[in-house]
Amino acid sequence: MRKAITVTVNGRACAREVPIRLLLVDFIRDGCGLTGTHVGCGHEGRCGACTVLIEGRAHKSCLTLAVQADGKEVTTIEGLGSRGLPHHLKRAFRRYHALQCGFCTSGILMNAVDFLDENINPDEEEVRRALIGNLCRCTGYSHIVEAILAASAMRHGLKPEPPPAETEPPP
Amino acid sequence: MTAAGGEGWIDRSLERQEDDRLLAGDGEFLADLRVDGCLHLCFVRSDHAHARIRSVRTAAALAMPGVVAAVTGADLATEMEGGRLQAAPPAPAATRGQVWPLAVEEVCWHGEPVAAVVADDKYVAEDAAAAVAVDYEALPVVTDAEAALREGAPRAHDGWESNEVFAARCTGGADADAIAANDAEVEAAFAAAAVVLSQRFRARRSGAFPLETRGALALWSDEDGLTLRLATQHPHGARLALADLLGLPAAAVRIVAPRDQGGGFGATAPVCREHAVVCHLARRLGRPVRWIETRAEHLMAAGQGWDRVHDLDIAADREGRILALRDRGIADVGDGREDIRRGFVAPQLGSVMLPGAYAIAHADITLRCTVTNKASPGPSRPADAYPARFALERGLDMLARRLGLETAALKRRNLIADFPFTGVTGVRHDSGDYLKAWDTLLERVDLAGFRAMQADARAEGHYLGIGFACGAELSAIPPDMLPPRGERTDLPPGETAGLAHTAGVEAPKPAPCFTAHAATVEVDIETGRFIVLDYVTCEDVGTVIDPIVVEGEVQGAVVHGMSNAMFEELVYGEDGRHWAADLGRYPLASAADVPHVTVAFAPTPSPDHPPGVRALGQGRPGPVPGALANAICDALAPFGVEITTLPLRPEMILSLIEAGRAGNGGASRDIAVRRKA
Repeated sequence: MRKAITVTVNGRACAREVPIRLLLVDFIRDGCGLTGTHVGCGHEGRCGACTVLIEGRAHKSCLTLAVQADGKEVTTIEGLGSRGLPHHLKRAFRRYHALQCGFCTSGILMNAVDFLDENINPDEEEVRRALIGNLCRCTGYSHIVEAILAASAMRHGLKPEPPPAETEPPP
Repeated sequence: MTAAGGEGWIDRSLERQEDDRLLAGDGEFLADLRVDGCLHLCFVRSDHAHARIRSVRTAAALAMPGVVAAVTGADLATEMEGGRLQAAPPAPAATRGQVWPLAVEEVCWHGEPVAAVVADDKYVAEDAAAAVAVDYEALPVVTDAEAALREGAPRAHDGWESNEVFAARCTGGADADAIAANDAEVEAAFAAAAVVLSQRFRARRSGAFPLETRGALALWSDEDGLTLRLATQHPHGARLALADLLGLPAAAVRIVAPRDQGGGFGATAPVCREHAVVCHLARRLGRPVRWIETRAEHLMAAGQGWDRVHDLDIAADREGRILALRDRGIADVGDGREDIRRGFVAPQLGSVMLPGAYAIAHADITLRCTVTNKASPGPSRPADAYPARFALERGLDMLARRLGLETAALKRRNLIADFPFTGVTGVRHDSGDYLKAWDTLLERVDLAGFRAMQADARAEGHYLGIGFACGAELSAIPPDMLPPRGERTDLPPGETAGLAHTAGVEAPKPAPCFTAHAATVEVDIETGRFIVLDYVTCEDVGTVIDPIVVEGEVQGAVVHGMSNAMFEELVYGEDGRHWAADLGRYPLASAADVPHVTVAFAPTPSPDHPPGVRALGQGRPGPVPGALANAICDALAPFGVEITTLPLRPEMILSLIEAGRAGNGGASRDIAVRRKA
């Protein structure tokens, strides 16, 4: 059974006829060609790598059917800032080395966007609890927590943004 | 976070170039690759731990719209030229098993691939795999290594003479006279010892489990041969092995690792049966074929390890100096018929690394490997240093308690102090200052201050504890431990590496790195639950090139070890069925489960590895279970709790508390401590 749906992904309307059993994560990755959203568990909502924003709130796109997003606004990692002007969370993640392999990163960023929208000046424990639905096997979480705290402080002007570190050593 | 500083590349935290694309969502992981006309492959896996295959019926699957092919083990046995994977255990080999990429006639573990279905859509491929009907006749199952070694035990592989496939002696040299002399020295040291601690330690199976599962995308061209996009840590090994399996010259096989990979930790190093099936079908169908492993498949089949028993005897003097060590190791290598690294190397490495950073003069260390009806283990950091470090670090804490010594002092007394030092298993410690790193750790944790706080807390009914552990970990197996190097490791004639710029140094010797850990915990004595309050490591990784990268690597590895030790166990039923094939039943630690990990440095540059660097990452989870278990036992010292098994489940801890309350002294019923008059 199929159904015609229109989902606005990162501001662009994406109209497709889809099987009603199609998961939103597959619609985003295969239908829209946006592969920054990942799958790390057995579509059981455990790893959080597939987290996207639906109407501004974090959802696991492996637990959502594409037809459930019909008529809604979806934001993925690709829609968070731009390469020329990266989102403040992305700048903080880079600065604080909050990603290693990068596989879980998109889901963590999308969850953090939602979390920081609701929490103005969180402490470490609140950030750690907010990340309970996102697994990372590389970093041990410390740098992720530091980056989210720093992004929050920068955003609200509580702390100046550190200058970016160099990418090349001096000659 | 460490500020940027230093000269040139050294001691400088630079932003990573790949972060740009990864943060933009432009990473290129295997599942992100798009190839026109690509087919999707789905495996049918055994739902028995051991059974004869009566029949595999694929007609219903093949009749489904969109299904292109379905193959069984019997098909592959007639279609593939090379076909069989062969485990080549290091000498002295006992049994060399062979296995077809899909099971033929017999399945030997729950999750073994039995058939494969290919369709033009992955949803259809899954439906079709579910429609393949396999008729099994159950066979006797053996899932425990010790049971497998007993006389008359069921055979993990029908018709095999024995389940024991490999035995190694890791001390005493190669010839009988040297071994006899070594054993006599060890015996004499035990006879002269003031204290002998004998204890069995057991680690249950867990493993690597990166966020990205395994996967492969094969493209076939009659002109150019096979191109395999493979999530792999070892493309060159994959190329040679797959060329053999497919009956192709190596020059007709290209392995392309994707630009980005979602972790690995060892799990994606070996060549696997699944890879051969994907390649074979791409060749047979003349179309691209892709397999993206599910999480359930990954938990059943990949990156498992550390299923291990250590029967450890430690002989010591009254000051806690180790006089001799005896270890009888038993490793469960599961199916044991796949790639060499899926079974034998990690257990042997565990035995070789057992003495770790301690200066142990005499040792008798042996290992037996047995097959069982479980998946072959694979590489997973820190290999079998995980159970080995747990055993020795726990054993030394138990020894300290018997002698009434502070464990941190006993361990310091035994650390290697004079370099270079060649240990009893042949591991060479080139240089270093392990005492400096240990002392730096002790300064960080303020042991005297902690003891005072612990006493105050205990008076109020709160059970705090501190635990120490350390390791000197190798980045590689010593060259003389490897099987003789044949010409297979070289490039085919006329081929070059194809890189624009290459530079390298031939590292003549492994340069062990030293890592010392301290964990602080609070245990709830009513539930057995504990929380990790604080975790500090002190690292000698040699010259630190990029401090923030090193810090992140250590933090990640430590939390990996915490997750393994606290939450992870691949549980099997008595019928050998795998009970933990999802992340609900096999939970990984989240940010809320673990504390910030503080990383301190006490570097000594290696003279062998320019610019003075040492290994990093692989070994770091090793000391974690020992540090945590020691902290828990320190907290519960009033109950005489001595943990001897992993993982550290609250119900296990609670049962030891209750045994202690009943006056049975926790686990100490199993402990034989002999004090000489």
